[in-house]
Amino acid sequence: MLSQILLNALALGASYALVALGFVVILNATGAVNFTHGDMVMAGGYVALAVSSATSLPGVAVLALVIVAMALVGFVFSGLAYFPLKSRPPVAIFISTIALGIIFQNSANALFSAEPRKGPPLFADGLITLGDISMPRQALAIIGVAALLILAQHLLLSRTSLGRKLRATAQDREMAAAIGLPVNAMIALTFAMGAALAGAAGMMLSNTFFVTPTDGSNYIVKAYIAVTIGGWGSLAGAVCGALLIALFEVLFPSLPLLIPSLKTLAPWLFTQTASAILLYLGLLAIMFFRPQGLFGETVQRRV
Amino acid sequence: MSQTALAPTPGAALTAGIRPLLLLGVLCIAVWPALVSSAYELRIFTLVGIYALMALGYQFIFGHAGALSLTQGTFFGVGAYVTAILATKFGLGAHLTLPLAAAVPVLLAALIAAPVLRLESHYFALATLGIGQVMLLSAIAWEPFTGGSNGIAGIPGVVLFGTAIPKGMGIALFAWGAVACAALLSWRITRGLYGAALQVARENPIAALSLGIDTARLRFVCFLLSAAYAGLAGALFAHTIRVVSPETLEFPVMVATLTIAVVGGRTHIAGAILGAWLIINLPEWFRGLDKYYLIAYGSALLLTIIAAPYGLIGLLAKWRARWFPEAPPPPPPPLALPLRSSRATGDGAALLTVAGMVKSFGGVRAVDQVSLTVKLGEVVGLIGPNGSGKTTLINMITGIYRADAGRVTLGGVDITSAASHDIAASGIARTFQNINLVDEMTVLDNVAVARYRHAGGGFRSSFGGGLTDPAWHLARGHAMHLLAALGVDDCAQRPAGDLAYGLKRRVEIARALALEPRLLLLDEPAAGLNESEQADLAQRLRDFARAGLAILVIEHNMPFLMPLADRMVCLDHGCVIAAGTPAAIRANPQVIEAYLGTPEDAAA
Repeated sequence: MLSQILLNALALGASYALVALGFVVILNATGAVNFTHGDMVMAGGYVALAVSSATSLPGVAVLALVIVAMALVGFVFSGLAYFPLKSRPPVAIFISTIALGIIFQNSANALFSAEPRKGPPLFADGLITLGDISMPRQALAIIGVAALLILAQHLLLSRTSLGRKLRATAQDREMAAAIGLPVNAMIALTFAMGAALAGAAGMMLSNTFFVTPTDGSNYIVKAYIAVTIGGWGSLAGAVCGALLIALFEVLFPSLPLLIPSLKTLAPWLFTQTASAILLYLGLLAIMFFRPQGLFGETVQRRV
Repeated sequence: MSQTALAPTPGAALTAGIRPLLLLGVLCIAVWPALVSSAYELRIFTLVGIYALMALGYQFIFGHAGALSLTQGTFFGVGAYVTAILATKFGLGAHLTLPLAAAVPVLLAALIAAPVLRLESHYFALATLGIGQVMLLSAIAWEPFTGGSNGIAGIPGVVLFGTAIPKGMGIALFAWGAVACAALLSWRITRGLYGAALQVARENPIAALSLGIDTARLRFVCFLLSAAYAGLAGALFAHTIRVVSPETLEFPVMVATLTIAVVGGRTHIAGAILGAWLIINLPEWFRGLDKYYLIAYGSALLLTIIAAPYGLIGLLAKWRARWFPEAPPPPPPPLALPLRSSRATGDGAALLTVAGMVKSFGGVRAVDQVSLTVKLGEVVGLIGPNGSGKTTLINMITGIYRADAGRVTLGGVDITSAASHDIAASGIARTFQNINLVDEMTVLDNVAVARYRHAGGGFRSSFGGGLTDPAWHLARGHAMHLLAALGVDDCAQRPAGDLAYGLKRRVEIARALALEPRLLLLDEPAAGLNESEQADLAQRLRDFARAGLAILVIEHNMPFLMPLADRMVCLDHGCVIAAGTPAAIRANPQVIEAYLGTPEDAAA
């Protein structure tokens, strides 16, 4: 029972980690919060749905196509939401991403209708039995694939020269431009990467949790909470924050199953709704008491 | 010869800016109800008014305070639910439900303000989004109270003290009456000194703090105001539509409000009304688009934020200025101001005492056991190589950084842990290394807003006066006097961003003097000035000191500073390595080693 719950939590956490990672990567490169990031997760789910119903490709191939397609979406997105506004204060970009988010959501609504749809699995649905524990294949697949993607992302950024260029652009755009890096291309590439990660997460989540056009706002808030817990701008922090959120979301409502006496104590407390509310309240508490998150450093503004 | 009046002539007032268009707009709104033919159109008209009211409130927090709040829709929904519950379950009349519907969101806003308001832009926005989600989930879950997913139906119309306002035309006129009152209130609050303080606080918060403006409090008041307006709008919505469901708490309401504010113009009252009219009617005009009208919203929002960041009203004002330019109004006559406040300390005693200041950033000791004093009428120079801690020290004195250890007293009063804006109000004025004027405001307004604390500036005082704010008029008069004292009064009506560097520097000093300080802190005032400007500045500073002002100057320019300073203090790596007269400093071997160098070094 506990292992089942933990596995689900890990799978959810792995998906959230991809979302949060994509969010932070764009944040670091541009200093702008991409409000549409949650909608890109949703878009990834729908692209997976479209591809798998149009073709009979195996799940992993669909994933590859989703990643490529969402990377392209990310490119185009940066041209609409970011580059026309890059010399304006970050709030303007926030608003432009809200605007594009609206367009995303309602286009999805128009193309696919509002009812929840189930996305394709990575390998296959069903359970694997090891001894007396049975685990959903999808959960294991998600953990494996997500771990690979996070590792690939990490290696790209830390071991390749392209990664070095991306990090330089993210840390100090003006200086990067001054030493001759193609900053605009780097930023566009960062958007593509962020969108691809979001899309991959979207496909994985769509199989277990279904996908609806309005999922976006839920994911963006989760990404934001993860990044706040982990420390604004920290990649490792975002991944940890995501895992913590997933653990809470899955574990908390399941507590009465593990500790039966809790069921009679306060049945309204251990519902999905209550745990969602608690999560947001926890976010507010963190922002009040430790706004720099677990891994962040308090930053003073230079006068 | 300058001619001024407290209010401009009626003719000039009517044709100034885009007012003719605005008057036309008001006329259209007044006439429209008479032309409307169907109950449906009347309802649309009422909805436009309701959203205009919500947008007017949103302009306080989003436009004037510059904070992207995403709870406006939530406050609207809470107001609607409060009205619904009070009217259906308790049978209360509108004379009670309307004020309560405005009050509950205000209480909610006050509650969430503490953790959320001091966050920067995107943190704040997403935090408010999270709060919106909590309220939505609560409304759906708290079924016995809120009717769950189905909401509450059968809400009566507006019943004031027993008299029911007829639906249709009655409620439409009532709603627009509320809009008119709200618009009047908005105009009153933002037209004078308070409005200028809001602008500085949003454009340049550090500058605002250095002028004694409590930026956190301003944001708080704006947040509460926005909640009140939204709650009232929600109440009117409940009485008009007569059904309230969780839909009123969902994101599309917030999106509509944000779009209205951005498309209309985020600080223009007319923008809220024009924006509301456009955004509410969009689904009607694009009826062919059916459920995709939200895509039209999104596109409108995107286009406007790219092409017209100040909204349509802002665009109209810009076109008016470009194609039909008008002469700027004449500046007000100067009103004399004492250069030093009457507060005095005992003769010879130090005004400013800094003792044992310590500040570390991470592992770096930026300021290490620094002590110094400044007397009234004295000019003290603070020198040292870059990174020696000079600006950090000034930032600690003015309360921008919290010191790790040490004490700062001003005239005997301990100000070590005082808030930045309170320190400014107690008599310390400063200028900045990178000049912190508000480029979009005129030179005159930049200086006048520094009179905020002295005019008793605050929310309540903004209600005073008639068409113009008397405190603002007084402030601008004082500002003119100071600009004349610094020799920049002929630039008074120009935007501060247009000025040359040397002139901006003088405007900044005039602004600092507007605080009637006892101590003036200048951070590299001679930087960017040519030799004659430097000599002029040195002379002025000498005059100020002779009049009794205490002055602390950070400078790298020795030919400027040495003749000017009575005493000098030299820092290196955060420590004081020498203090004394300029002659002693010049000869001090440690100072020479660390900073000044010798003629041989110069030749090398």
